Amino acid sequence: MKLRHAVILLGLLAVSPATHAHELRPAYLEMREVKTGEFSVLWKTPMLGDMRLSLEPEFSGEAKPATPVSTRTTPGAAVQTWTLRALALRGQTLLIRGLDSTMTDALVRCEFADGTTWSQRLSPAQPSALIPARQTAWAVAGVYVQLGIEHILFGIDHLLFVLGLLLLVQARWMLLKTITAFTVAHSLTLAIATLGYASAPGAPLNAAIALSILFLGPEIVRMWRGETSLTIRKPWLVAFCFGLLHGFGFASALSNTGLPRADLPLALLTFNVGVEIGQVAFVGLVVLLERSFRQLEFCWPVWVLRAPGYAIGSLGAFWTIQRTVMMFR
Amino acid sequence: MKKQKTESTKLKTLRRATRISQGVFWAAVLMWPMSALAHTRGGEAIGFLSGAQHPVSGLDHVLAMIAVGLWGAQLGAPAVWVLPVTFPMVMAFGGMLGLMGVKLPGIEIGIAASAIALGFVVFREAKPKLWLAAVLVGFFAVFHGHAHGTELPPGGNGLLYSIGFVIATGCLHATGIAIGLIHRWPAGRAVLRLAGGGVAVAGVLFLWRALA
Amino acid sequence: MKHSVILLSIGALLLAASPAQAHLMNSGFGPFYDGLAHPFLVPDDLLPVIALTLLAGLRGARCGRWVVFALPSAWLAGMAAAAVIHLPSGPVWMTCALTIVLGALAAADRPWPVALVVGLAAVAGATHGFGNGRELAAIKGGGLAMAGIASALFVVSALTAGQLATLRAHWARVAVRVAGSWIAAIGLLMLGWSMRTGQ
Repeated sequence: MKLRHAVILLGLLAVSPATHAHELRPAYLEMREVKTGEFSVLWKTPMLGDMRLSLEPEFSGEAKPATPVSTRTTPGAAVQTWTLRALALRGQTLLIRGLDSTMTDALVRCEFADGTTWSQRLSPAQPSALIPARQTAWAVAGVYVQLGIEHILFGIDHLLFVLGLLLLVQARWMLLKTITAFTVAHSLTLAIATLGYASAPGAPLNAAIALSILFLGPEIVRMWRGETSLTIRKPWLVAFCFGLLHGFGFASALSNTGLPRADLPLALLTFNVGVEIGQVAFVGLVVLLERSFRQLEFCWPVWVLRAPGYAIGSLGAFWTIQRTVMMFR
Repeated sequence: MKKQKTESTKLKTLRRATRISQGVFWAAVLMWPMSALAHTRGGEAIGFLSGAQHPVSGLDHVLAMIAVGLWGAQLGAPAVWVLPVTFPMVMAFGGMLGLMGVKLPGIEIGIAASAIALGFVVFREAKPKLWLAAVLVGFFAVFHGHAHGTELPPGGNGLLYSIGFVIATGCLHATGIAIGLIHRWPAGRAVLRLAGGGVAVAGVLFLWRALA
Repeated sequence: MKHSVILLSIGALLLAASPAQAHLMNSGFGPFYDGLAHPFLVPDDLLPVIALTLLAGLRGARCGRWVVFALPSAWLAGMAAAAVIHLPSGPVWMTCALTIVLGALAAADRPWPVALVVGLAAVAGATHGFGNGRELAAIKGGGLAMAGIASALFVVSALTAGQLATLRAHWARVAVRVAGSWIAAIGLLMLGWSMRTGQ
């Protein structure tokens, strides 16, 4: 009885981060030095319904807008542009006012006339940063690796798909092949979409990703019943095909944050590395936990063993319906 | 037939991969305390470093700890692992007394005497009963711990200092036991006894310094 | 931020850990992951957890199964209680004593009754959880952080106890006992330290 409650509790714990996932979209501040001491500023803030999050960038030193601020709204975000006059932006402290009372982050990117760039991620806990004299490629890489890890850690739909694959594939060798196929596929489409060779419309894409999760549910049940199917015989094939879809999902997340044009290949590569780190950590954790449960000789009741499979199927179905409805609204 | 063979190589690779992943897991487990140290608030890592430095900074202490390891290796099982299991706790008990301000007479003399006694038993290859060996080592361990307890620098983080201190002491034991492994060869036995004699002589010097 | 690249190999969660409000480190991934990282980043909480899981692992699968659930639920209960009841958290000597007892029991490696180990898991979990709870209740997303801590404890205890439960090699058990002895020694020094500083 106690065990049962604990399992339910843990199930709830596992799902809880999802509730905050929608507030994740970070704000994006881009400042490009068009001529010495003059920056063209792009400031993208996420919208909650019709409300723009009240976030404002502030500089510690001398920096004044030279043109009036023009505002337009895109779905989910407000975009403001203006020209900023600042003789020395380096050495000033940038503060995003209001960030500390939100749950979102802000990505800041500054391109100087000398070709160097500075990227920084500001968070509610750390809403300000010093614009340093120079920033290395390492620092840019660090920002995007973290972004990639974060995207997979909070992207509950991607994790659920991987969990589905883990449930479906028992043999380790096949698991390695399957996860590799998924990785190769989503890296491919992530690169293609980010570099602008192809694109997928957002709403149908989200519905299709949900469909990929829903697809795994019945296959898992089929495997329990000892039946076979193409998915069960060749899980890597399915992982590859759906991986292509998930890659477009990653790409839209990456482009939502606003991509640096100059460092595009580096940002793309390190974002992907971050995603893989998160994914490998998740797979490793699940495999090690499963091994530990075996060594601790857990005798789970059947419904506990079945629960993850049914959870994947039902959540996939729920999201598919929800996102399909959203498509036609 | 061929297919079976490739399957078995695959299995082997997998087994190796599992072992590696287990290794990574344990390495990560071991790394965690380290990362915990690296990430604590400003300057506290200093506590860990000063704690780790302390046991290796005094030659008297280092020689006595290594002698414990050497003697353990000479005595063989079960002493070789009973000593490293019990010694840290007894020494920490002495350290606790020192921290609490309990006065023990003749600490410096006790430490010098421990080097003499431990060096001597290694030199003689003495093999007393396990409990007697444990009492002897434990008695001196209290002195060593007490000295470190009272010398603990004011301020700083006590926990990190303690972790560094205990880990460094454990590593000294391990060094002694590792050196003691040469006990299985006749020439190695002679070298060990000689080393014990050296520790005892050094102990006499420490005693002279403590009394002077 | 620059160091994050070097630290990648250590693990994703430790990436952006930086000084943050009272005890809860900022992992950079929100409160749930802050909580998830907490037990690994705070040695005061990590030591008794390691000692307990070593002890449970040495005692075998049955004991491990109990501890895997008893520790996180007691910790969670302690945190929840601290959020509701406003009492000062337990004295430092109590957590030190718990660490000493847990480490010493692991070092001794006797067939301790499972009930004793599970009882100690509950006491240690409740005590440390109570200590965490008041800080967490005060911050935004504290509930998520608590959930993160409990999940991390479940994972850590399952992994450690699970890997140890099948240890048969003599030297491996000795290594675990030495680790227990070290933890007990650290607890003893901490006890002396807390008396000196008069906490």
